[in-house]
Parts: sequence; C-alpha cells; structure tokens
Amino acid sequence: MAAVCTSRTRQMMGLLRILRNFSQNERLLSTSVLRHNVASDGPPKFTPPSKPVIIDKTQKEASLRRFLSPEFIPPRQRTNPVKFSIERKDMIQRRKVLNIPEFYAGSILAVTMTDPHVNGNLNRFVGICIQRSGKGLGATFILRNVVDGQGVEICYELYSPRMRKIEVLKLEKRLDDNLMYLRDALPEYSTFNFDMQPVHYEITGDVPVNLLKVKMRPKPWSKRWERPKFNIKGIRFDLCLTPEMMEHAQKWAEPWRPYDMLKEYDTSSLEEHIFKEVHENLRK
Amino acid sequence: MTALTCRFIKLADGLLRGAQVTVCRVGAALQRAPVIQCIRTHRTNTWWDEHLTEDNPWPRHEWAEGSRRVGLVAVKLGMMPVWSKSGERHVVTMLQVQDCHVVKHLSKEEYNGRTAALIVGGKNISPFHRPEGYLEVFRNAGVPPKQKLTTFCVSDNAIIKPGTPLYAAHFCPGQYVDVTAKTIGKGFQGVMKRWGFKGQPASHGQTKTHRRPGSLGPGGDPAKVFKGKKMPGRMGNIYDTNHGLKVWRVNTKYNILYINGSVPGHRNCLVKVRDSILPTRLENNKNPPFPTFFADGDKELPEDLFDEDVFQFGQPMPE
Repeated sequence: MAAVCTSRTRQMMGLLRILRNFSQNERLLSTSVLRHNVASDGPPKFTPPSKPVIIDKTQKEASLRRFLSPEFIPPRQRTNPVKFSIERKDMIQRRKVLNIPEFYAGSILAVTMTDPHVNGNLNRFVGICIQRSGKGLGATFILRNVVDGQGVEICYELYSPRMRKIEVLKLEKRLDDNLMYLRDALPEYSTFNFDMQPVHYEITGDVPVNLLKVKMRPKPWSKRWERPKFNIKGIRFDLCLTPEMMEHAQKWAEPWRPYDMLKEYDTSSLEEHIFKEVHENLRK
Repeated sequence: MTALTCRFIKLADGLLRGAQVTVCRVGAALQRAPVIQCIRTHRTNTWWDEHLTEDNPWPRHEWAEGSRRVGLVAVKLGMMPVWSKSGERHVVTMLQVQDCHVVKHLSKEEYNGRTAALIVGGKNISPFHRPEGYLEVFRNAGVPPKQKLTTFCVSDNAIIKPGTPLYAAHFCPGQYVDVTAKTIGKGFQGVMKRWGFKGQPASHGQTKTHRRPGSLGPGGDPAKVFKGKKMPGRMGNIYDTNHGLKVWRVNTKYNILYINGSVPGHRNCLVKVRDSILPTRLENNKNPPFPTFFADGDKELPEDLFDEDVFQFGQPMPE
C-alpha cells in the first residue's frame, strides 16, 4: 500500500513539474503572441477560452461495458451491405437526438411518448421489457405491466419520432431473452409500480442477472413453454409439471440443431466493426 | 452538312492510358479553339461529339405538358420504415440505381411508328459468357455490358444521346412512379394460392376435397370448359407493375430511391422505374428534371433529398 502511495506521489510530482514547465512556456508563448497581434492589427480580438473537456479519469474507457444494441446487427440475408450502412446512418442520427439507453429483456423501463389523444400530449408507461425484436429502424420492444388487474403489453418502436424519453428504471437481465411466458405466470411477476424510482446501475462490469424462477398459473398456457424449442430456464417447472410431462415434452427436442452448419451465424467480427462505426459517429 | 471537323487522334496507348480529355474542333474556329485530345480507356471503334456541333441532334428541351421522359433501371435493395411529420408510419422500398446508361435510341419509324424509344441498361456485368450480338449494342454506345435492357417510349423532345449515365436524381421526392419487375417465382401452385379460390371445408364429410377448384363451368349447354379457365399452374416469374408509388426520399450519394410500399421481385432483382401514367398523379409529376438529370457539375445537390412530409431524423421533433 505504502509502495503504491509513494509511486503515485512520485508520478504526481513528475506531472506537476511537467505542468509547471508547460505553464511557463505557455505564458511566454501567449505574451509573445499578444505582442505580435498588438504590433500588427490594433486591439486583439476576443477569443473565448476553450470549453473545458471533462474526461472521467476514474474509469478507463477499456473498463466501460461495450454494448451494441441488437438492432444494429444485420440479419443473415443476401442483402447488399449498402442498405444496412445507410440504415445505420439514419439510426445514428436519431440516437444523437434521442438517448436510447442500454437495456435487455427483463429490465424495467419507463417510456414517454407523444399522444394526440391525451391532455398533456405526453403518455408515460412503465413496464418490464419482455422482448426485443426487429432489425434496423423498425426495431421494437414490448413492455408489460399489470394495471388495475388487467395485463397490458405495449409494443414500442425504438426509432419512432413519437418517442420522447426512454429511461431504464432497473437494468438487469433474466435467464431468458424472451419473457413471453410472463403472460401465463402469476400476475405478481408482471406488476410494477408506475412511480418506481430508478435503481442505480454501474456503467462498468457485467449486467446483474436476476435468477428468478417464475411460478405459473395452471395449464393450459398460451404456448407450451415446457417444450425444448423455447428453451426456457426461468420457469419453476417442478411446481406445475410432473416429470412424466417433462419427459413427454422432450419428444419435440431437436438435438441436431446446435450442429446445423447452415444455421451458423458468427457475428463477432461484424459486431466489432459496427460497434466502432457507431461509437465514432455518435461522438461526432 | 456543316464542316464537321471531328477527327479522332489515336495516340500510343501507353502514353495516355487512363487519361480522359475531350476533343472539340468546332467548325471555323480551327486555329483558335483549344485542342484537347480525347482517348477512351476501353477501346471503342466509334465515338462522336455530335452534341458539340452546331446542329446538335441531341438538344435539351424544357418540360412540356404531355411529354414523356425516360425511366431508370434499379436494383431492389430492401425495405425500411419511414415516418411522416404527423407520426404515421409507412414502409418504403429502397431501389439503388447502379450504372444506368442510355444504350440506344430508336426513332419513331424504327420503333412503332408513333413514339420514339430509348433503350436503357442496368447493372454492369462481365463481357464474358455472353453472345457477341448482345455485346455489340454496348460497344456501339461505348458503355460496359449491362444485365438488363428495357425500352422506354419517349416523346421526341426527351431523347437522350446513347452513353449518357442516368442517376437517381432523375426522380424528385413527392413524385409518383410505376415500378415493373419480374415477380418471385412460386413454381407450380394450386388454385387456392394462385387464384384465391375458397376451396372446400376441412370437415363435415368432405372426401378428399379440400383445396380443389370444384366446378369447371356450366353444364350441357356450352358442353366445354372456356378458354382461360383459372386452373393450377406455374405462378410468378412474370413481369408485373405496381402503379402510383410515391417517391419519399432520394439519396444522391449512393443513388437510392425510397419508394412507398412494396415492389414486385426479390431482393437484388432489377426493376424498371418510370413516371406514373395514372391520370390522378399527373399533377405531382410536373416540372421534373427534363430530359434527365445531367451531372454536369453546375448544380450541386445535397446528399439527401426529402419530401416535405418526411420526418428527418436530425430535425427537431414536430409535435
């Protein structure tokens, strides 16, 4: 600890020395420049001081979470990449005006939209994001909440001009990407207070995963969630299904799926390119 | 015939490979006119500067009521949403104009006796694996071989010199177009999918009859099935036109047209785009760039041209 302190202080002293040197030089330069100006044109023009650039030095850029919104990744199609790059430009332009935060299926969001049928023109809805779908400008997400005992799901378009604000009240992930099974779960898992206060989340590190397993209403459900094609891990099947029913559901298992080469889509290199492009353009 | 002193000077290819300069020796001003050599990088046998002579056979006229101008050949890229200023969402198809050139001019007498025609070519392709007769037309125009050739009926004041490139700025946002393309081939299809027949009920005693055409016509009086009876057969892969599609936006940098709704054909197929012939849309198509948009350099267009109704993402929110 002591060693670290001393090395740090040494660095700081070194920096201070350099800064002092620089400041002296600057002063010299500045006076010479002023004199030069006075000599040539009359009173020098007022140049406003440069705006201070606030760089958060407590967190290095490398430790910030690198998140690329899933709608930027183009689908696996035989489309000309020009189409995706132009769509991306539009998306970046929209993101410069409206801040679209990072969120996943399972995070609780509050969305404010313009609505001509409401008195104050703005309409706010709070809910848990159960699905994020669509690619490009038509990307959507569905928010679910239970209002007065009635389950309500609203599908919002991320890039619609009617969106005013998207706030993340609680950023977290769940065990699945698609939480459509909440329709058949007990309503307590989908109720969220409209006046919920935002929970602070870290910009670095991993997103917290909520390992909650949900209790379901009695069958029949809207979809047979026990079947392996949905691959759901967030339901307490032991409370609602017998082991025989679970085995019967395994009949629809397709064990060859992970080995199907035609369905392989490796997006890692694409993601890196697109991430760099998006961040460079957003910074401009 | 005026003193047409258009001479072409063939210099050593090695000297000027890649250089492109224009020759203009016009009429009398031989000694004083600046002489610049012209060499085309792809070796053509014919080229001419008729548009620089006194009696220019390719004059540029102004748009008049009732005149028809050329269209374009474009590639269907895909679709995306577009929002209007009032917040309504529409879908648009993106058509990219890739290497569109006018390839041939057919006068009224050659074509059909009523209107002149211009043959326009689309995307560039390789000259190999193509018959000689096909490549000859392109060689005469001085243009690389194209994948698709279409004919446009054109009024006499809208003829264009073969070899001129056509750009997406030929169409303005707010105008209406017709798009023709080959529909997606569906193969041999039954009567329900092909013609929209209702079929028969799934249960209540139907024996092996659920998607069949049923009766083929009246009974003993004609005692025959009429010609053109709708029956199963090959569906799709035929030319079809969608009329009256609005142009929402034009991207001049990548030459992309954003056209309302859907367009026949699969992704990356070549389509024919021309001004709409619907009588209710003639008002929106007034005063277009006539006979086409020439990229002569005097007018710099912005990268994106929007219709007044389109919500542009950089602009502040309208409501």
